[in-house]
Amino acid sequence: MSDKQRVSRRQFLNYTLTGVGGFMAAGMLAPMVRFAIDPVLKPSAAGDFQSVASVDEITNEPQRFEWIVDQVDGWYESEVQKTAWVYRTEDDEIVALSPICTHLGCTVDWASNEEYPDQFYCPCHAGRYTKDGVNVPGTPPTAPLPVFDHKVEEGMLYLGQEQDR
Amino acid sequence: MQWTKEDIELYAAEKKYVDTLIIPLIPFNPEADHTLVKEAFQRELNQLTTQLLEKEYRGRVLLAPDYNYITGQYEHETQRINEWIEKFKKQPFEHVFLFTFDTKWKRWEQNLNGNLLWIPSLNERNLQSSETRSYVKEQIHQISELIRAYWD
Repeated sequence: MSDKQRVSRRQFLNYTLTGVGGFMAAGMLAPMVRFAIDPVLKPSAAGDFQSVASVDEITNEPQRFEWIVDQVDGWYESEVQKTAWVYRTEDDEIVALSPICTHLGCTVDWASNEEYPDQFYCPCHAGRYTKDGVNVPGTPPTAPLPVFDHKVEEGMLYLGQEQDR
Repeated sequence: MQWTKEDIELYAAEKKYVDTLIIPLIPFNPEADHTLVKEAFQRELNQLTTQLLEKEYRGRVLLAPDYNYITGQYEHETQRINEWIEKFKKQPFEHVFLFTFDTKWKRWEQNLNGNLLWIPSLNERNLQSSETRSYVKEQIHQISELIRAYWD
């Protein structure tokens, strides 16, 4: 019994104080460290992909797909409906175009004008785009339609941010 | 385009492309308990519909500030609305549409200097529900076709 190592009063106090002090230091440092590395931990908004459609639905003809995203816009947080024209090219590439006219922001339709059955048409000022979204010279738009980032996972098409061209 | 700083800046710069005006007509009567809910709902539905319409054609359509009025005095309101229209037409606007769920305007239509777009309202229900959504979508589809017919 007596050959058990005895803990002196001094040692005992040392251990306790180190332990308590350690806890306090950790308590103070942890939030600081958390703040320092916080930006790294934040999920990036740019990587927000939303599932939009099943890949089987996508044909060579552009089709309109709609989905809902949460958007925080200064004061308001709201659900915004997004739309894209999606089709498959001859090389089996999926293309998703924004329907927002680059002229003044109307919504363009595929083949809605009988004279141009293979172009996107803007009803506001007769702006036109070819199937790949490039604006037809001589019509009001000055830039091609933006394309959505896309990826395919488990047979579903996911769309992300739109990129200007 | 909407009546906000950002949109109006764009409007001022690109005026020549914007020739269509939509004025929402929104009735209310704070005295009458039995119509309060209905009118509040119609106001929400009106704003939702006109904003979605504006979104569809934002490059050519300006959404005017809401025209709010106390229900009842249609003769007096007709005059005031015509004053609004007269001032807006100086910009100029070629096509002016008045969008409302208030049935009573139908009788005064010929005295208004704009095209009345009256559509029947829904009974009060959840604006987010899928029936309301599909109703609004369908209405917008038809109204936008109507507006396009004026453009051609």
